[in-house]
Amino acid sequence: MADTTRIDLLDPADVARLGGIEIVAAGVVEGFLAGIHRSPFRGFSVEFTEHRAYQPGDELRYLDWRILARADRLFVKQFEEETNLRAMILVDASRSMAWRGAPARLTKRAYADRLAAALALILLRQRDATGLITFDEAVREVVPPRVRAGQWARLVRGLERTPDGGGTAAEAALGQLTSLLVRRGLVVLVSDLLFDRELALTALRYLRHRGHHVIVLHLMDPAEAELSAAPEVRLRDPESAVSVVVRPRELARAYRDTVRREIAAWRITCRRHGIAYHHILTDLPFGMALRLLT
Amino acid sequence: MTFLHPLALLGLAAAAIPALLHLFERRIPPEAEFPPLRYLSEAERQSARRLRLRHVLLLLLRTALIALIVLAAARPLVPTPVPMRRAAAHQRTALVVILDNSLSSGAVVDGRPVLDRLRAAARGSLAAAGASDRMWLVLADGVARAGTRDALLATLDSTGVSPRRLDLTAAVRDAVRLVNAEPLEEREVHVLSDLQRTALGPGRAGVTRGVRVLALAPASEVPANRGVGSLRVSDGAVAVSIVGTPGARPAAVTVQVRGREVGRGLAAPGSTVSIVLPPEGPGWWVGEAALDADELRADDRRVFAWRVAPPARVTASSGAGPFVAAALAVLEQGQRVRRGSDVGIGDRLDGGAAVSVVVPPADPTLIGQLNRALAARGARWRLGSGGTPGPIVASGVVAMNGIPVARRYRVDAIGDASRSKGEDSTVLATVNGEPWLVRDAGVLLVGSRLDTAWTALPAAPAFVPFVDALVNRLARGEAPVSEVEGAPGVEFRTRGGDTVGAMVSAPDPRESDLTPAPAALVRDVLGADVLDAPALGAARFAGGGKSEASGPLLILALLLAAAELGVATFTR
Repeated sequence: MADTTRIDLLDPADVARLGGIEIVAAGVVEGFLAGIHRSPFRGFSVEFTEHRAYQPGDELRYLDWRILARADRLFVKQFEEETNLRAMILVDASRSMAWRGAPARLTKRAYADRLAAALALILLRQRDATGLITFDEAVREVVPPRVRAGQWARLVRGLERTPDGGGTAAEAALGQLTSLLVRRGLVVLVSDLLFDRELALTALRYLRHRGHHVIVLHLMDPAEAELSAAPEVRLRDPESAVSVVVRPRELARAYRDTVRREIAAWRITCRRHGIAYHHILTDLPFGMALRLLT
Repeated sequence: MTFLHPLALLGLAAAAIPALLHLFERRIPPEAEFPPLRYLSEAERQSARRLRLRHVLLLLLRTALIALIVLAAARPLVPTPVPMRRAAAHQRTALVVILDNSLSSGAVVDGRPVLDRLRAAARGSLAAAGASDRMWLVLADGVARAGTRDALLATLDSTGVSPRRLDLTAAVRDAVRLVNAEPLEEREVHVLSDLQRTALGPGRAGVTRGVRVLALAPASEVPANRGVGSLRVSDGAVAVSIVGTPGARPAAVTVQVRGREVGRGLAAPGSTVSIVLPPEGPGWWVGEAALDADELRADDRRVFAWRVAPPARVTASSGAGPFVAAALAVLEQGQRVRRGSDVGIGDRLDGGAAVSVVVPPADPTLIGQLNRALAARGARWRLGSGGTPGPIVASGVVAMNGIPVARRYRVDAIGDASRSKGEDSTVLATVNGEPWLVRDAGVLLVGSRLDTAWTALPAAPAFVPFVDALVNRLARGEAPVSEVEGAPGVEFRTRGGDTVGAMVSAPDPRESDLTPAPAALVRDVLGADVLDAPALGAARFAGGGKSEASGPLLILALLLAAAELGVATFTR
């Protein structure tokens, strides 16, 4: 009964009607934290928590040599981070993010803003320095990671100041981001990933190589996962002039398979490079989306 | 392939609808934003070949579906394989066997009469019929004899060559009507004839769909034949016209009177030879013309009759008009009439004459007086009011047919004279269907004066023959020598103790031309398939060798519809 009254578990569109990003994110975080008592994010502190499989890019000093000697397998030790985590949230503000498949749903951008704000609030409450970068084809807003008072409000304002982009070449912006993230920490990318996978992965691999812990939140409107529309419709890419006339019923199955293959490709590729990947539909309650990150 | 409802084939145009819709009905689709277009393009690229195949398949299926439904609606008849036909007993059939035992069937071909061959084929048709079939036998008399198979076979066995001609076109037309009236599954007409070209009557038989007409092909070689076509006696000679196969060699013609040869000539088909008759005394005489024997004997002999009569004694009053007087002068000069009181011609009754020929008086006020005199004489006709102009129709004097009448009085009957069939009250000529020349009680009453102001007859070449017939034949109540179809012979008509006419019977001259009609003409006129004997045996009772294919087509259409549904549903 208590769960059903938690804002973080309500429909995102219903929650969004409560107010702006700040109110929604705060409400979501309150509900979310009510069920969690420890920091969900792990850093490299002194308090050991668990082992995980070694991935390229991990620092060798955290390798558990005893397991290596005993089982001939590579594991790294993970520690509870206390205060020194530096988190940077990257929000894709490209034109494609300002789309929703139904009026009753949030746009991907709105969903991303609220999710990013909630995530930032959680991090800041843990005394983790949290920053924000918004981008479309270029970097639009940069809020450096801090833990001081009023940081969350700055982050929210940064989100609000960022308009829905018109650009498409997010790959270039990702390249710029790597130069902005000098100190290693946590990088959370919130995007619909509608750009060239290889180019994007190049940037993400670079961040991973620099020692960042990278999390990719792949947002997708439910209408993007399943093709259903009028018997015949001309569909146009909002980021380009490309359009195509299709009969959705004819292509629905092939499209669904294509989307599934694309998601699987992202997941496999990210896992191969030690990048955490989560596919999130925009009708997923914020609390459950945050739960994916724990 | 034939169709019971060929007009339904117009619906085949509808088969183009799917293709036309595909080509011309491309509407402008609504437009919408869709960010993951790259996924869509990828899906489309991967499915392009499958979709193209699907579209083509659906187009073909839908087009074929419409075409099949239209074809089924047209009710096509398709040939049935021969093994299938023979394997099963035939369906109930209404069958008319037309056996053309006309005169020409007596011709001898390859050493045996044509009728034998035709009868064998007819026997085959009747023998193949079943107990559930309905059957008729039509002979040259045109009568359709219904009966059981055995009864008709018995009739067939007793059938010989008939002197009559059979109009095949009319016979097939009647036969088609006959079988169409029967609610049986199949309808067939078997025409067993020598298929003379001249046996095909005017027009077409009008064979309706569903009726099969099978005709036995004629023998490959037909002999050239000659026959006596017609005989006309005039001016002491008989004109013998020869008919038969065009191009046949001339043959000797012999004329006999009372068993004695009186003349001989040589003539080929299409020509006429005139042979002088010996002078005979008054009375009726019978002669015979005969040809040398050939393969068809029945038309090689023909009889003829003629009458030798003394010239009528005629008196013409001034009221008869100048044209009648001039014609009588010509006839008197030719010794066809003499002056006397046997026949009186004028505009009033001649009490002294045995027979009066009365024309209307020029003065209309005298009409009443004339009518009273006619009534007093016992005549049942009178002159009435003025009648409408029109042409003359007279069967007894053929030459005056069609000559116009400008003025006339209506010749009205008193009592039931017009319905009298007696010899004493006869309508000899009509105008517009109304009596114009009548004979009754020794009076011949004419509706118009014989003057060019009333009729063109006096100015026509037929006038003198008309006056000749009027005084020599019609006034005496004699009928002309008539001809009927039949075996060669003569019958005389008598009234009281007098012989007043003769009827000569002879075969139809068209029977002498044995040239068969081409198969194409038979097919066109009779709607018949011309088959030789083995083929006829195979084709009879085979349901036309055709069966209606609507059912299979509809089943196929259903299968196509199911296939279309499957393709449309499972290839998305």
